[in-house]
Amino acid sequence: MQILVLVKAVPDPERANEITLDPETGTVKREGIPLVINPLDRNAVEEALRLKEEKGGTVAALSMGPPAAEGPLREALALGVDRAVLLSDRAMAGADTLATARVLAAGARYLGDFDLILCGAESFDGGTAQVGPELAQFLGLPHASYVTSAREKGGLLEVEAKVEDGRKKLQVRLPALLTVSRELNRPRGLSFSGIVRARGKKVEVLSLADLGMDPSRAGVAGSPTIIGDISTPTTTRSGEIIKGDPEEVVDVLVKKLTEAGVV
Amino acid sequence: MTEGYRGVWVFVEQKKGEFLPVGLQLLGKGREIADRLGEKLSALVLGRDVKDKAKALIGYGADEVLVVDQPKLEDYQTDLYAHVVTELVQKERPSVFLLGATYNGRDLAPTVAGRLETGLSSDCTRLEIDEEGRLVQVVPAFRGMASILCPDRRPQMATIRPGVFRLPAPDESRTGTVREVQVDLETVENRAELVELYLQEPEGKPLEEAETVVAGGAGIGDLEGWKLIEDLAQVLGAAVGATRPPLDEGWAREDQMIGQSGKTVRPDLYIGIGISGETQHVVGIEDAKVVVAINNDPGAPIFKVADYGIVADYRKVVPVLIERFKKLKNTG
Amino acid sequence: MVEFQFTEEQEMLRKAAREFAEQVVAPLVPKMEETDETPEEIIKGMGERDLLAVTIPPEYGGLGLGHVARVIVLEEVARVSVATAMMLQVFHLGIDPILVFGTEEQKKKYLPALARGERLATVAVTEATGGSEPTACQTEARLEGDHYVLNGRKVFITDVHLADVQVVFTRTGEKEFTTFILEKGMEGFRPGRYEHKVGMKGCDTGELILDNCVVPKENMLGKPGDGLKVALAGISETGREGIAGCALGLLQACLESSTKFANERILYGRPIAKLQGIQWKIAEMAVNLEAARLLTYRAAAMRDKGQRCDVEMAQAKYFVTEAAARAAKDTCDIHGGYGVMNEYAAQRYLRDAQVLIPSAGTSEIMRIVIARAALK
Repeated sequence: MQILVLVKAVPDPERANEITLDPETGTVKREGIPLVINPLDRNAVEEALRLKEEKGGTVAALSMGPPAAEGPLREALALGVDRAVLLSDRAMAGADTLATARVLAAGARYLGDFDLILCGAESFDGGTAQVGPELAQFLGLPHASYVTSAREKGGLLEVEAKVEDGRKKLQVRLPALLTVSRELNRPRGLSFSGIVRARGKKVEVLSLADLGMDPSRAGVAGSPTIIGDISTPTTTRSGEIIKGDPEEVVDVLVKKLTEAGVV
Repeated sequence: MTEGYRGVWVFVEQKKGEFLPVGLQLLGKGREIADRLGEKLSALVLGRDVKDKAKALIGYGADEVLVVDQPKLEDYQTDLYAHVVTELVQKERPSVFLLGATYNGRDLAPTVAGRLETGLSSDCTRLEIDEEGRLVQVVPAFRGMASILCPDRRPQMATIRPGVFRLPAPDESRTGTVREVQVDLETVENRAELVELYLQEPEGKPLEEAETVVAGGAGIGDLEGWKLIEDLAQVLGAAVGATRPPLDEGWAREDQMIGQSGKTVRPDLYIGIGISGETQHVVGIEDAKVVVAINNDPGAPIFKVADYGIVADYRKVVPVLIERFKKLKNTG
Repeated sequence: MVEFQFTEEQEMLRKAAREFAEQVVAPLVPKMEETDETPEEIIKGMGERDLLAVTIPPEYGGLGLGHVARVIVLEEVARVSVATAMMLQVFHLGIDPILVFGTEEQKKKYLPALARGERLATVAVTEATGGSEPTACQTEARLEGDHYVLNGRKVFITDVHLADVQVVFTRTGEKEFTTFILEKGMEGFRPGRYEHKVGMKGCDTGELILDNCVVPKENMLGKPGDGLKVALAGISETGREGIAGCALGLLQACLESSTKFANERILYGRPIAKLQGIQWKIAEMAVNLEAARLLTYRAAAMRDKGQRCDVEMAQAKYFVTEAAARAAKDTCDIHGGYGVMNEYAAQRYLRDAQVLIPSAGTSEIMRIVIARAALK
């Protein structure tokens, strides 16, 4: 099975509270926060490796991002993917989900034919859940979103996916794209032996020119959406801090809540 | 690229022939937007044997209901639904297209946007029309709010989580039309076919309807701590809510998540424990009457959006609270 | 030229170690603090992620990443749990004598399983008479035909209840000391009582009782009389390096928790980080951390080059553990009343720092080693 897994470099979720919005420029400020593989993409990598171990074949990892996104891709190599490709170009910057999907589609085509494309259902920083399905449209592939289990059987994928209050079972024709949920598997940890095995494997970096893509189709230029105003929410609540030992604060709180008629 | 596009569309999802509330909520919001633009509001319904029910949507604000009624459309299936919706959008050219951010809505919206190569924003918490008549799509982002615009492509597409907008009161006297549309599905390949749907009855009273909500966050630390949250909720007759980390830890269920990518709650009393107060969570509690925050970190942003804050270790305070409310219940 | 940057590979090893520490160890720290027991998941995780294979060469199933990598791992693990880092450092320490002094047969027999983490190793030198005077050793090994019979009691042995392979220091003559590789399950081999330390809760420590323990001759490390050489080499280089690595992580943790608290704690309307009294403490910690890193990583790099580094290791061990203890005290002070509350890690740092000071040689012994070299 030839598998492509999409890996987005996102700021370390452990340090999410350091990420802020710059109201002046409207950009996300995340200086000094290391980039890591988007958590759900770790599930996608795990599934790709598991399928490869079961069925044979190869796993390639693909990402679009700044040069610093090489780090997370190197991690993907250490986790066991065979090849890692970063699409990086100034003209790709500022892409919305559609322009991102379009560039990733060009990257996927450049790399060859795949039986299966896997990615996290949503990214930790954007959380839109759009890139997977949009990419599937650019590539003309069927897809399933929020997948919780996947099994290949006679050229078809038997897939379970999330819906409100339950699950659905789908039969998906290959080649296909799946966006995966956390419940799908437990991603393996980065192991020292994996790091040693990945020695000498390089992240390949491709530009728009390498992909033969017109800059007007990528980045800000290729994005139908733009970010307008940025604002910080204003608060309308009193924010009264109740002080004292546990007994005292509970006394005061219960009194206030009773007065307000909410208990 | 924007010329010739007029009208506001709302995709009203149905399950087993019943319209999901989020679709009705969006009709309420869609009505405001359509009035602001001076354009028509259309509800789009796909399903099997849904024609007769479609009329009801006029009462929720639709000027027109577009119905595609075919056996193959009984349940949501990506290829079939996306084909119908894309074809209708191309033919009818709406300017604004709103969808509920259910799992199906979050699958359908990017599929259609991808095929049309238009812009889409996810999980908007506010929608407005600016002076140029463009849809301003507001989404929370890292302790702030960002406005997204789609200036040059149409339709302007957005998804909205259930509960973000209030359910409008139906007005039986409203008039409008129901228009059945035929779309040929014979030649459409259904490449991701639905085999089975397993649905469970949702547990207990839905979080979004609860009068009291006790919610926990990353600061709870372990399952034992989470038990305290549940105990407090039980004695208060409250629903239990959570931020993202307790889900990841497996303490809480997905349907308990409050915030941008979860539920919007409107209780009389919300008690947030061990919750730092990221924007993504706080947008889900804005309409609570009274907000109480318990956190040992005095710098936690939650205190800025709380009516009452307690800077303390919750493991010390919550047991006392439980005892006090127990006593109150017995005497009251 | 001097190179002050870690390689890309070393940075990724750091990341892998941090992932292990944060995902596997961090959730278990409260339980370790409460019960003083070692969770199985931690030992299993160390094996799965190859933390035990770092110093073992590839020909014996290890990764051969060397000592700079070892310190990186220890620093990252200690940042989350000094107790866990201490156990890990002693597992490495137990491997070391076999690596350096073992015969080809011994290496082939023991190292691959140790590299996979299927078996664990430790060393047992210290006795009730004191660790800094190994020649006072009373544990005796008597040759009887093709085997030795060992009798005695070792104390303060880290990982004693966990390790399957233990390198034990014994007396084989009036002034002759010899080390043996002992294995769990040997007749007369029995880990004894558990010690409960003021800090490093959950780090296994206890005594080893040898009661007519029968050890085949081929389990001797080196020759009869090589004992001191084996024990001292391990402790003065690998042991001190390990403790310095543990202390580095603790220093880093102190700096992180102090800056976080100082930025968030509001007094009189502004964060206490604005107060110069607090800033001085923070500056002190930051400088000491950098100096500590330079000393420790340089000594480890010398070790990787095969250079003698016992004095450099003593300098690193002395400086870093003392700096960590001061940083832990400052961290508690910055936290004010919270500094002595169990809910905050500050008090744990203080207790753990104190355990690092006598480990692998007290600060007094370190200064004797350092002074001896300086005065030469």
